[in-house]
Amino acid sequence: MNTQTNDDSIRVLIADDDEHILECYRDAFGGSEETDYIKALDALDAELFDVDNEVEETPRFDIVACSQGQTAIDKAIEAAEKGNPFDVVILDVRMPPGIDGVEAGSRIRELDADVEIVFVTGFSDVPLDELERRVPPPMKLHYFNKPLSFMKLAKDVAGMVGAN
Amino acid sequence: MSKEAAARSLQEKVSLTLFVVMGALALLSYVTLQSVVAPAFDRLELDEAHTNLIRADRAIRNDIANLNAITGDWGLWDDAYDYVRGEYPAFEDSNLDRPTLTNLGLSLLAIYDERGDLIWGQLEFEQQEGDIGMLGVLNRKNETSSFLINHTDPTGQVYGLLRTNLGPMMLSSWPVVRSDGSGPIAGTMIMGQFLNDARAASLRDRTEVQLDWTVIDSTDEVSETMTVPLDGSGGGSILHETSRTTVESTGVLTDLFGTPLLVLEVSTPRKISALGNSTVDGALLILALAAIVVALVTWWLLRQIIVSPLVGLADHITSIRKSGDLTHKLDDDRDDEIGALAHEFDKLTDELHEARKLLLDQSFKAGKADTAAEVMHNIRNAMTPMINGIDRLGKNFAVTDKLKVKEAVAALTSPDCPADRVEKYFQYIDSAFSHIAASNADAAENLTVASKQARQVEAILADQERHAQVAPVIEKLNLDEVLDEAVLVIPKADEPEIELELEEVIRDVSVRAHRVGLLQVMGNLMLNAYESIERSDSDSGRIGVTVCEETVDEQPMVRLVVSDTGCGFDEGTSEKIFQRGFSSKEGHLSGLGLHWCANALAGMGGRIQAESEGPGHGAKFHVLLPAAQGG
Repeated sequence: MNTQTNDDSIRVLIADDDEHILECYRDAFGGSEETDYIKALDALDAELFDVDNEVEETPRFDIVACSQGQTAIDKAIEAAEKGNPFDVVILDVRMPPGIDGVEAGSRIRELDADVEIVFVTGFSDVPLDELERRVPPPMKLHYFNKPLSFMKLAKDVAGMVGAN
Repeated sequence: MSKEAAARSLQEKVSLTLFVVMGALALLSYVTLQSVVAPAFDRLELDEAHTNLIRADRAIRNDIANLNAITGDWGLWDDAYDYVRGEYPAFEDSNLDRPTLTNLGLSLLAIYDERGDLIWGQLEFEQQEGDIGMLGVLNRKNETSSFLINHTDPTGQVYGLLRTNLGPMMLSSWPVVRSDGSGPIAGTMIMGQFLNDARAASLRDRTEVQLDWTVIDSTDEVSETMTVPLDGSGGGSILHETSRTTVESTGVLTDLFGTPLLVLEVSTPRKISALGNSTVDGALLILALAAIVVALVTWWLLRQIIVSPLVGLADHITSIRKSGDLTHKLDDDRDDEIGALAHEFDKLTDELHEARKLLLDQSFKAGKADTAAEVMHNIRNAMTPMINGIDRLGKNFAVTDKLKVKEAVAALTSPDCPADRVEKYFQYIDSAFSHIAASNADAAENLTVASKQARQVEAILADQERHAQVAPVIEKLNLDEVLDEAVLVIPKADEPEIELELEEVIRDVSVRAHRVGLLQVMGNLMLNAYESIERSDSDSGRIGVTVCEETVDEQPMVRLVVSDTGCGFDEGTSEKIFQRGFSSKEGHLSGLGLHWCANALAGMGGRIQAESEGPGHGAKFHVLLPAAQGG
């Protein structure tokens, strides 16, 4: 489990049972230091060579990562009790041996009606219409298939909360 | 209970039941005949013995009556009257001689005068003349003599049996009067006949009854059951004693004073009971034979109608249980309840067979779906870090590509380089190389992750391959059922028009194979044939399936040949047509492929071959599978 905090950041709760996947999430959602380095290089580039580099403004994420659905629920409850709920919850569907991501998403939805819930999975035997029924409303429900680019996912997540 | 024991038990129970029923019937018949029929014969026999004794009694009484009649004739006779009175002495010469006694069959003739003195008398005993006094009953001072000799009534008469010293005698005594019965009484006429062996023989001849008698010496000799003497009209006590061959009947005869004198004995041969016994024995024999015949016929009918069909049904069920072959049918065309049972059982096995096929299909598909889901999930998870690493590589290379290190070095080495920019050029170059170094390190790390994830994908595939090697269920399959389903993969498109020919003999051929696997193989071959015809640009085509049985390596095999009139292939293609990844269909990678088909058939103990006379001449695929033996 990894926690990063920043007052201007987008709070994201991530649950996936694969540690390599979690590492990918961390890379994609937590690379602010690297982004600063490239920004400095781009600034020198513009000053010394008159190059007009449009430096893309990247959002900052405050991520909490875990490997089980029940842990994700606990983290969501804890955040809500502290008055600092998550903006986005990203869940894998299959996370043995505990409850699956759909059940975890359904319970988190009961806690927070506004949170954006994203399912990212390699395979789901739960039809999309059942997902929409169990984790409503559809406009706050998102679904992505692995493999995917987590950098693009990070942009999409930022777009969900209007911070792009 | 095992099947064999159950079959034997049913037959034994039927046989035992028949045996018990027939035994009970025979016993009942025996008891009935012995207790009802045989006693009836015995009663008839006793009735005959009784009648015989009565007949013997009546015969003796008849003889006494005849003697009394003769005596009466002589007593009521004027000549005899005159002779007794002494008025006709010639009577003696003309009538009283020995031939007269002989002619009359008399043993005794005695004539007394009115004073009771013997005028003339003669006794014949054992064919010799004797003295009347020997009798001991006609002495003048004897009461018996007085009773017999001294008549007071002209019509009086005395007759009956009389005990004498010489043996029992039939005796009659009449007063001698005139022929018209008028008196006065001149004297007494007495006649007698001994009851001797000759008399007994005469009686036996006339009555045809084996009679005899015994003189009673004292009343003690008379049985308590014979207290009532015979009266000549059927009355009186009669005792029957039965031996093995005769019924001995006895009754008591009294003398003319009412004293028991003789025990009359009649021996009746047991002809009636013998006839009854032979009748009963014959009836029992006939009943026994009839029972045996009925039992045998009933047993045979029960065996043919009930036992054998039930045993056949039990054998059939056991056969299905042992072989698991639900396609095996009873096909019993009987129109009774057992036929209906067999028909219903066939229907049940049909439904069970269909359910099993459906279950196998569903479990196979469900298993494949679960496996595919798991594999997809794991592979996608494994690929995600790889893609993320590639994204990072791309991002880093994009930055690196834009670096102007060469321009910065050129600016530094230029004499025109402003002094206030030298430090920033160095700072730029340093930052650029730091970025390149960091990118290289990140690339190395990403490649390591990619390599690790690639090995994980390989491990997932290897694990899947091990699971795929689990032996499928091999069962007996009717080819027509498999082909009927396999041809469904051929699209029902309008073009090209496909003519499908399945050899009729296919319906009689069965193989041993994995049902779903063979279904997929045959479906694949059908689809290949269809697509080959489609690619040949012909408006029509033909797909044929033939079958033949042959022996390969001493094993009975079935050869299925799927032929088409499609585009065919050249010799080079035939060499690699079963290789992994090969496809003769340009840009077409769907379907299981012939490589999979070859592997699947090999797993069932079969094989596949392909042949073509060249492009445009169609193709033939030979599928060789083990033949199903027996039921």
